[in-house]
Amino acid sequence: MGNTPKYPSSRGGLPSIGGTRGTHSKRSIFHRTLFLMAACGILMFVPLVWKLWDIAIVHHDEYQRKASDQQRLEYEISAQRGNIYDRNGKIMAMSSTVYQLILSPRDLIANVPNKDEEGNVLDNAVYQAHISAAQEKIVNDLMDLIPGLDRQELVNHVNATTKAYRVIKKNIEEEEAEVLRQYMSENKTANSLYLIPDTKRYYPYSSLAAQALGFVNSEGGAYGIEAAYNDMLEGTAGRVSTTKTAGGTARYNAYSEYMDAINGYNLTLTIDTTIQSYLEKTLEEGIKDFDVQDGAFAIAMNPKTGAIYGIASSPDFDPNNYSQIINEDLLSGLEEDIAAIYDKLKANNTENLTDSQLMEKAEAQAYSDAVNTQWRSKAIDSRYEPGSVFKAIVLAAALEEGVVKESDHFFCSGHADVPGYPKPINCSNTRGHKDQDLAKAVANSCNPAFIEIGGRLGVQKFYDYFEAFGMLEKTGIDLPGEASLAGAVWSREEMSNVDLAVASFGQRFEITPLQMICGFSAVINGGNLVKPYVVQSVSTQDGTVVQNTQPEVVRQVVSKQTSQRAADILEQVVAKGSGNNGYVAGYRIGGKTGTSEVGTKDTDHYIVSFMGYAPADDPQVIVLLAYDHPQVAEPGSNYGPSGVYISGGNMAAKKAGPLIAQILDYLGIEKTYSAEEAAAADVSMPKVTGVSVPKAEDNLSRVNLRYRTVGEGDTVSRQVPAAGTKIPGGSTVILYLGSSAPEASNTVPNVIGMTYENAKQALEEAGFFMKASGASVYYGNTTTAESQSIAGGVAAVTGTVVDVRFFNQVEDGYTG
Amino acid sequence: MARKAKRDLTMEEQLARGPLDLPFLMLVLMLLGIGLIMLFSASYYTAFRDSKPPVNNNPYFYIIRQAAFAAAGLVVMYIISRINYQHFRWMAPLALMVSIVLLILCYIPGLNAPINNVRRWLNLFLVAGPTYQPSEIAKVALVLFFAARLCKRDTEKKLRFTKRTGTGRMLNWLEKIGFLELVPYGVVLVVVLGLIVFEPHVSGALLAAVGAAAVLLVSGISLWWFIGLGGAGAAMVGLMYLLTNYVKVKIALWLDPWSADPQHEGFQFRQGMYSLASGGLLGRGLGESNQKYGFVPEPENDMIFSITVEELGFVGACLILLLFALLILRGYWIALHARDKFGTLVIVGIITLLAAQVFLNIGVVTGLIPNTGISLPFFSYGGTALMIQLAEMGMILSISRQIPAPRKD
Repeated sequence: MGNTPKYPSSRGGLPSIGGTRGTHSKRSIFHRTLFLMAACGILMFVPLVWKLWDIAIVHHDEYQRKASDQQRLEYEISAQRGNIYDRNGKIMAMSSTVYQLILSPRDLIANVPNKDEEGNVLDNAVYQAHISAAQEKIVNDLMDLIPGLDRQELVNHVNATTKAYRVIKKNIEEEEAEVLRQYMSENKTANSLYLIPDTKRYYPYSSLAAQALGFVNSEGGAYGIEAAYNDMLEGTAGRVSTTKTAGGTARYNAYSEYMDAINGYNLTLTIDTTIQSYLEKTLEEGIKDFDVQDGAFAIAMNPKTGAIYGIASSPDFDPNNYSQIINEDLLSGLEEDIAAIYDKLKANNTENLTDSQLMEKAEAQAYSDAVNTQWRSKAIDSRYEPGSVFKAIVLAAALEEGVVKESDHFFCSGHADVPGYPKPINCSNTRGHKDQDLAKAVANSCNPAFIEIGGRLGVQKFYDYFEAFGMLEKTGIDLPGEASLAGAVWSREEMSNVDLAVASFGQRFEITPLQMICGFSAVINGGNLVKPYVVQSVSTQDGTVVQNTQPEVVRQVVSKQTSQRAADILEQVVAKGSGNNGYVAGYRIGGKTGTSEVGTKDTDHYIVSFMGYAPADDPQVIVLLAYDHPQVAEPGSNYGPSGVYISGGNMAAKKAGPLIAQILDYLGIEKTYSAEEAAAADVSMPKVTGVSVPKAEDNLSRVNLRYRTVGEGDTVSRQVPAAGTKIPGGSTVILYLGSSAPEASNTVPNVIGMTYENAKQALEEAGFFMKASGASVYYGNTTTAESQSIAGGVAAVTGTVVDVRFFNQVEDGYTG
Repeated sequence: MARKAKRDLTMEEQLARGPLDLPFLMLVLMLLGIGLIMLFSASYYTAFRDSKPPVNNNPYFYIIRQAAFAAAGLVVMYIISRINYQHFRWMAPLALMVSIVLLILCYIPGLNAPINNVRRWLNLFLVAGPTYQPSEIAKVALVLFFAARLCKRDTEKKLRFTKRTGTGRMLNWLEKIGFLELVPYGVVLVVVLGLIVFEPHVSGALLAAVGAAAVLLVSGISLWWFIGLGGAGAAMVGLMYLLTNYVKVKIALWLDPWSADPQHEGFQFRQGMYSLASGGLLGRGLGESNQKYGFVPEPENDMIFSITVEELGFVGACLILLLFALLILRGYWIALHARDKFGTLVIVGIITLLAAQVFLNIGVVTGLIPNTGISLPFFSYGGTALMIQLAEMGMILSISRQIPAPRKD
């Protein structure tokens, strides 16, 4: 202790007991310092350590959970949706990253300081002015940055100051996002204005194969392949679990967990964009030409494998904007529908809505109906009566069962009596086909003949084949929405004789177009019912194939021989029969026409269809083409406004022939001409000027050309056409002898309505050559010229080849 | 001044050149080092997010300034430790005068540097330079002044007044019970504390009072005065509790902090708790606090200890508390061994101030006591406060030099 004699300098001096204020001070200093020492050096820490223990150890879990609740930041990393490619690797659907611009009006005003730079609290009026200025600024800046933004809407967003999440704009592309990003970093808006990534689905071919592809809405694939293969396409979203700052910014540290997103698989379809575009173009043309009311559908398939080359349905839509109605017919029909729904609602107005409310309701309903119509794939999700097309199935069944053979003859009086049915059933040709062999009966699409064939099969056998050809089950295609078959056909037990009679020519029962094409394929492909499919393979983003579709044969329905026999007969349909208008020189197309009625007779609502396949000896493609409800000229008429008899042969076959030829061309299948066809095939005009007539004749006959001479002389001085010109074989060329010379030009005669021979003659006399197309070379008297490439009365250079299209009026219309 | 040879030194000078207390110095340096590291860890995100000048999003802003002041503070500490502390006796009244003048300056607009109408700060060069709190100086000045006067109690004769008059008898009685002796201290205290309280800076006044009280206590003033004054203080707080809402709210918040609005009144407490609890036994690791990212308010200042616990855990916190405890114990040990009563009283004042600051800060962080707003010595950001803190440590070291070496037989 301080004050011992050893330290004389101490100023305390000796204690003067009683006299000084600090009596006994040394001892009290000692004790009191010790007391403070104990209190501040030891005791004080006891409650502190106890508290720390209580918080950090005892309540560790409880508080830490709360802490991590506020610190944790978890978000998803969206997986890239897989692309969809056509069979040649062309992109039909792809995803790309876009951004959404998000504004937090709440944080926007929270960022405005309520104190000035010295830290003094601002006057409320001044503070409010600052807030308004900040809001004004963001509105002006965004209007400048994003052209086309609705100012009023933006102001409303900004003024929703209690909200923290307002989507200002969606689908912002990278380029625009970059501009916005720069603005954000310059103005430090990270918590009030920011971009979040999003994906957008692009369909580069817009409406092509729209129903097959379907589309993607906010919940994923909604229709078509996008829906059926949604699981494979969408992939697995990744997840980031990390901590954030109080401001919400993600922090990455040792505690962060990062789970990569697994991108979706790519699909390669069997659909070919080119073939698909052929189908859609054909539908469009037919709808226009025949004034079709209720759309159309077409399927192109490989008959041996079931691979769908194209599947089209009209009206269609653009999956990029799937809620928009683009089809003109749908749009024009919308007004009528609204009016109809409005009237119905008005008549049954139980909720006492005002007229404008009713109108609104009607509009919404009509719109929704129209949108649903355009999203539907008629070829899959609707049923129809196949009509005469179905006769191919009956034919194959009858051949397989041996109840008919090619040499059988059938007599058609124009109608047939069926026991149990009060009146005779008419043939399409009410005058009657008279005597005909089997092939002819099929080519004529003769109903009485098929009633007889059906009768020979009997109900049980018929039903067996009906079932075997897949008419009672869904095809199992990997597309969603195959129509239910409930109530579409009779049960085996209740099928009567009358039912059998009408079913024999494809009426009074319903199947889907896809079932029909699969059943027909089984008839001509060697007898195998195949399962149709649209997705050829599934692969990862780097190209590894994880799934490849193998063609699947559901069952063998008829023998190979039967199939061959049926195919031979069906080829005659196009070559000589009701499918004649589908004929294309160079391709052996087989097929069957069909016309069926929808609803009752009075509605004049027909579906005209044609099922064609080629080449007949080795089918590579089978096409079903149908138009729903061609307009009739007048109620009850069988003719369209342009005078065309409404039938599959006149309408669908006519459009299907060029379509099939186009597809075969595209598939690289070479044309093979029959002898007659080869005769009419184009040849090159040889040079015969300067030679004698016999010599010229020799040269010309070598290339299948005939000639006539003009003028006098021994040697040919001039020729029409010039050497090297391509003209159809069998044409008559003109050789000028001596000084005679051809006219430079001449007037093209009108040949429309003429038969083949007459038209050819008329044109050649005028110095032109005819190239015929359309109906087959078996030109009968019913085959007349329908159109010519150079109209009659127009002057043209002599020797010009004029394309003339022939047409065969076919009476294979609906009868019942 | 040429250094004199040891033999030429006077006894006084020789004593002043004695060895300083190494354990104490080491403890100061360790706490300062740990404090700087924790300050850096706790402050860099706040600094990074602060776009206003002078910080300008510089994450090193706080640590660089603090480290610079720490370096300057160490120099100051060393210089002061070289001063013969006996000179503090005559400096003490001067220091008190100066600090009272500075406290008055705090009230003069134009010369002071108020923040939000709180007038605690002055610029170092009155119109410019870093800011500091004159109350920090006043606390030491009070301790020095009290120590310098109270150490002379033993030689101060009791006053005698005539017993003939009533007044005289009254005064004699007052002298007898020790009241008259306390009058000058009371006056000084009232003036200084009054100036500090009305800045307003209640916690600063509280600390100054604690320092002064410690000196008074140890100097041998009758315990009854402390009991009486303590009682009066408690009664005052009780009265304020009943009369003003301010205290009531504070107490209510202290008693039930979890039911306060978690976004406002309860925010700091809650976030501090989350931070402390996240530490657990061994902590998340240095630099790994999640709470310092904007959750805990002022993590570089009053709440720095919560970040420390989050990163270093219960064990780390206890080690730091142990260092503080050892520093405090060693301080009192030096006080007990000081060469004279003046030295003892100065150290007791300074060390008790330090201990009170540690207790009040960590007590608030852990929710042990109501919120007072006191920073943690060596840890919290505040350059001038750190310098003054180190200067005080220098005084203790200076006193430690004059401890006589134990005799070796």
